[in-house]
Amino acid sequence: MKKILLACCVAVLVAGCGTKGGTQKAPIEQHDVLEPQKQQQQADEAAKQARIQQEQAELKRQLDEQKRKQEEAARQAEAEKPEVKPLPATSMSEKALADPATLLKEPGSPLSKRSVYYDFDAFNIKVEFQPMVEAHAKFLLEHKDFKVRIEGNCDERGSREYNLALGQRRADSVKRAMTLLGVPAKQIETVSFGSEKPKALGHDEEAWAENRRSDIVYPGVDTPQQ
Amino acid sequence: MLCLGAASARAQLTIEIIGGGADQLPITVLPFASEDKYQHRISEVVSADLARSGRFRLQEIGSVRPLPSEPAEVNYRYWKNRGSQTLVIGSVAERSDGKVEVRFRMLDTSKEVQVLGYAYTIVLPQMRAIAHKIADIIYEKLTGEPGVFSTRIAYVAKMPRRFELHVSDADGFNSQFILAHREPIISPAWSPDGTRIAYVSFEQRRSIVFVHNLVDGTRRVLAAFDGINSAPCWAPDGKRLAIALSKDGISQIYLIDADGGGVTRLTTSNAIDTEPSFSPDGKSLLFTSDRGGSPQIYRMSAAGNNVERMTFEGSYNVTPRYSPDGKAFAFIQRNQGRYRLAIMDLATRQTQILTDTSLDGSPAFAPNGRMILYASIVGGHGILAAVSSDGRIKQKITASAQDVREPAWGPLVGSR
Repeated sequence: MKKILLACCVAVLVAGCGTKGGTQKAPIEQHDVLEPQKQQQQADEAAKQARIQQEQAELKRQLDEQKRKQEEAARQAEAEKPEVKPLPATSMSEKALADPATLLKEPGSPLSKRSVYYDFDAFNIKVEFQPMVEAHAKFLLEHKDFKVRIEGNCDERGSREYNLALGQRRADSVKRAMTLLGVPAKQIETVSFGSEKPKALGHDEEAWAENRRSDIVYPGVDTPQQ
Repeated sequence: MLCLGAASARAQLTIEIIGGGADQLPITVLPFASEDKYQHRISEVVSADLARSGRFRLQEIGSVRPLPSEPAEVNYRYWKNRGSQTLVIGSVAERSDGKVEVRFRMLDTSKEVQVLGYAYTIVLPQMRAIAHKIADIIYEKLTGEPGVFSTRIAYVAKMPRRFELHVSDADGFNSQFILAHREPIISPAWSPDGTRIAYVSFEQRRSIVFVHNLVDGTRRVLAAFDGINSAPCWAPDGKRLAIALSKDGISQIYLIDADGGGVTRLTTSNAIDTEPSFSPDGKSLLFTSDRGGSPQIYRMSAAGNNVERMTFEGSYNVTPRYSPDGKAFAFIQRNQGRYRLAIMDLATRQTQILTDTSLDGSPAFAPNGRMILYASIVGGHGILAAVSSDGRIKQKITASAQDVREPAWGPLVGSR
């Protein structure tokens, strides 16, 4: 609602500026050659108009900036919501029925988990991550309008190109596990970032372990729709 | 986001020589007459080039004045007694049309003769280029191998908020980025004629191979199939590239025309095949594959036949790169948790580890085969380094950028 109001404000400001300039210019034009005083006044007026227009452009820029910040804040608030929300009595809360995306953010549910971790140079899904992958497969089966993007990642060691291929294998192995459970392939997109987009920036085993990972991403739920 | 010709001082490289080869040739390069009127002094650039190669010992100039710039002024015995068989003299003079004449002579102090001498007419911005050319001529005359001082290199600089693909002179000067984006750029590869660079960009949030024309700044998509598009390597004829694609499942090696057409599959394995490297004669390819259970280096014919495993030592051998003479290949070998640059002689199958760093990657031969440029991580930062193919000469190349990586050494063609 706030966003709409702000947008209106900007629209009015811009529109107002247009009409004002237009109506004042027309009559002056007939006299300015005859009366030097008025000519000066007109020049002053034009300068003033230019200043006002500049100020309004600046104001619009500030408003846009503010709007962007507010949207950013709203997005952040949205992302943080599950942490401040009280636990619902059942996992099938009223809201969840209305919006399946809520299921994906239910704290403690396997669906709220998104990452599969791997051993070095491995792409097999370890036993402890299978229930989570299965839960996402079940969700996708039940919600055909949802899509996922599986992003494969590797640690920084070794070859960037080999890691790019390995990251693809990691993402594809998650996709394969899901399609074997019946999820249509068209609901799943895979991408490899190899070792190019490390989540942990260190150069030690802890960082490496965090970066050997496939992320199950729901575009529009986890990230803005692309 | 395509940026052309924009210089970025922040990514300027600095090269520091760590080791020196044995049997260094003593040489004296005297200041060229009138060179100090100009921003770049010819004799300094020539001396730095020769010293950086590790094959010369630059002699002190001493205190005798005036210094000679013409053969008639040279006291050969004096310079011979100072320990230099070779003396380089020259001059810089501005002509009436604003152009600059650079003259240089290489003299033999024992035989008291001129070995060679040239005069060049240049415009001011070519001052460093002509100095590199002079260094190349001296290098070739004294070692019998072509010099690579006039070549260019490409590398990726990781800035705080973006990645930049840079092209610079081989000594790190004149660095300019040809592409900048917040998403990663990897695997730059020079075309054999030096006019184009293929690379992998993630600008569309996935790996896509582009071919970038350095002459006019245009670029085009080479491969954007489903899955990964990566590891471009030009065939020696410049008409095709070997490339790794996962469009048919797992990453496999394909040939593709330089215009993106004519995709032909070369490998058919149930494993990762990537990092193709053409032999200089174009008849065979080295590549990385984990078909044997761990990533190892294999060789096959350019038609994809006669696959042969090349590495057996250790469980991780990757990133093969043929040497320019085709007699050896550089690669990265894991040994006791360290990833180090190594070289294998194809005739003897002997492997030599060339570095003592632990996170090496992306080896790139100089076009004369003498040095290998590579990336490493030292103190948490990406650096470039170079080592001679016999392991004796070492250079560390640092940049003021946060990280530099993915070096590629341009060809000799077009630079001489």
